[in-house]
Amino acid sequence: MTDRADVVFSCRDLHVFVEDREIVRGVDLEVRAGEKHAIMGPNGSGKSTLAAALMGHPAYRVEGVIELGGERVDGLPAHERARRGMFLGFQYPVAVPGVSVASFLRAAVSARRGEEVPIREFRKMLAEAFETLSIPKEFMGRSLNDGFSGGEKKRLEILQMLLLRPRFALLDEIDSGLDIDALKVVSEGIERAAGPEMGLLLVTHYQRILEYVRPDVVHVFMGGRIVRSGGPELALELEERGYDWLQPDAGPVEAAS
Amino acid sequence: MPLDEETVRRIATRLEEGEAGVAARLRALEVYREQPLPRRSLHLWRYTDPAALMPDGLGPLPAEAGGAPGPVPGRPAAAVLLRPGEHPGIEGTLPAGVTVEPLDGGDPRLGRAVPEVRGPFEAMNRAAFDAGVLVRVAPGTAVEGPVWIRAASGGGAFLPRILVDVGEGATVTVVEEHVGGAGGFRIAVTEILAGPGARVEHVPIQRLDDGARGHLTVRTVADAGASVATSFVSLGGTLVKMDLGARLAGEGASSELLGFLLGGDGQRFDHHTVHRHEAPRGRSDIGFRTVLTGRSRSAYTGLIRIEQEARGVEAYQENRNLLLSKEARADTIPELEILNEDVQCTHGATVSPVDPDQAFYLESRGLDPVEAERLIVGGFLEPTLARVPGGVRELLEPVIAARLEALGAGR
Ligand SMILES: Nc1ncnc2c1ncn2[C@@H]1O[C@H](COP(=O)(O)OP(=O)(O)O)[C@@H](O)[C@H]1O
Ligand SMILES: [Mg+2]
Repeated sequence: MTDRADVVFSCRDLHVFVEDREIVRGVDLEVRAGEKHAIMGPNGSGKSTLAAALMGHPAYRVEGVIELGGERVDGLPAHERARRGMFLGFQYPVAVPGVSVASFLRAAVSARRGEEVPIREFRKMLAEAFETLSIPKEFMGRSLNDGFSGGEKKRLEILQMLLLRPRFALLDEIDSGLDIDALKVVSEGIERAAGPEMGLLLVTHYQRILEYVRPDVVHVFMGGRIVRSGGPELALELEERGYDWLQPDAGPVEAAS
Repeated sequence: MPLDEETVRRIATRLEEGEAGVAARLRALEVYREQPLPRRSLHLWRYTDPAALMPDGLGPLPAEAGGAPGPVPGRPAAAVLLRPGEHPGIEGTLPAGVTVEPLDGGDPRLGRAVPEVRGPFEAMNRAAFDAGVLVRVAPGTAVEGPVWIRAASGGGAFLPRILVDVGEGATVTVVEEHVGGAGGFRIAVTEILAGPGARVEHVPIQRLDDGARGHLTVRTVADAGASVATSFVSLGGTLVKMDLGARLAGEGASSELLGFLLGGDGQRFDHHTVHRHEAPRGRSDIGFRTVLTGRSRSAYTGLIRIEQEARGVEAYQENRNLLLSKEARADTIPELEILNEDVQCTHGATVSPVDPDQAFYLESRGLDPVEAERLIVGGFLEPTLARVPGGVRELLEPVIAARLEALGAGR
């Protein structure tokens, strides 16, 4: 038996349904502390559904087991998963008009800690994080994601990851809509947040970000399933050959270990 | 006491008015007597029975004033207390050019913005208002800090009246706060005359007691180039109708009306707004939001009317209703009457529960569902709160927080 003590996240035989439609059709994953995994797959294959269901989105019916740090979380609502250290970076971060970035972040950091974060400490954290992500300070007082550009929203997602210090982070297409400079800033932010203790699952459509955030394991996701897993070279192969040679129903599938 | 000549005379005497006051009040009494209650088929009264808002008599004067309303927050230019059957209590040192004084029933400006023929509530108030204040701002005067008028009563009927006359190019903020009134009726009328180029901020706050009923009318007449910003908040009472609006009477006048209501179990609201463009190149904007919980109900009717001669007008109207419970109900009816082609006009209305995507986003950051909802609702109210003058936010924030707390507990 391999040592499971450093597994920060796992799911087994995960199925996700929208009404009667099965969108995720049996997924197994295991992410260890310090590991970076990438999930790559074509549009519409169910990547965002997988990510949202793992985070506890109430619109989905989920079967299977989800564990965070060895404890089951599949029965828990989203906020409980977040408090225990799961983080989802959204493909499309949601605008909440009238709620300032700073007051939202303070509520989030306090919730994650289980106690109100003192205002001075919070200001300091915030200033550092804004600096790291090259976000102008004016954004602290703006409405959350309201009228932000795609790149600004994505930076703010990574900023939240930095502040919330998750044990396991899912980043759903954090790279989409970013120009090359923003991609570098976001990648640096990810590298900074992801220490030896955190597990990371990077969901992406393109190989590009993987040049900056180097994955240890690459999974190919098609038709609601992982159809192949391998090392970083698999990403390059996908870049060259596309997805067509990997049909979900064609031949045996190399299961995730 | 019945609303009759003797009562009207008694009120005028008590307020030490002269013959002109008595005469004008008695004329209004005639109008009142000749006006039947509005028919329910009128769109303004589709959702509320006017009889339910009409006091069956006027209280013995002076009516018991009700809970001590406490000091006014912030740094008002003047604090005015209106109580039934009493001259207004006025505190504060006013800058030159501003006067705050008892309103006399004989004042010739009364009725310019709200004529008694408008309806029985308006006629009743004109005949029998039992406390009134006149705020005058001389041309070119800028008043710092709000004139804060608080109308407070116990049970019984209370008919306060406010008249604000703002001279050319003058600037003033008037807060009108309705408190108390448990078990009674509040029939209020406010008239604001904004002279050419005047800038008026008006903040009507309705936080009547549980069990209070009210009919509050506010009308502004904006002369050429005048701009009026109204921020209204409706929180209290059991059955409350607020009827707010402006006549953009002069060229290039503007009026912006932002407001919200927060309704809980057992409350019924009926709010109406109107912008009437009578002159060219005016601009008006209405943004009214409601948050409803429990079995509360809100009906909103909003009218934009643009007269034939009012060319080059821009007019907007939006009503958004957030339903936090399955039993809450909101009706919304926008109406446009546009008599010329040269206008830009939009209106929109929504009725919906809290956006589940917003809730999930916040919950994915560790906020529990109650906290998430509170934050979303707070954000929804922000456009109005963001622009109320100093002191008002201070006053409202704890009241709103307590209300939202109660929502969380009630699920
Ligand atoms: N809440 C939902 N309701 C209905 N259909 C959904 C829902 N969520 C996802 N789907 C469907 O699941 C499929 C996969 O979508 P998605 O997970 O966004 O794919 P990807 O992220 O890989 O592009 C799509 O066909 C999408 O329409
Ligand atoms: Mg997606």
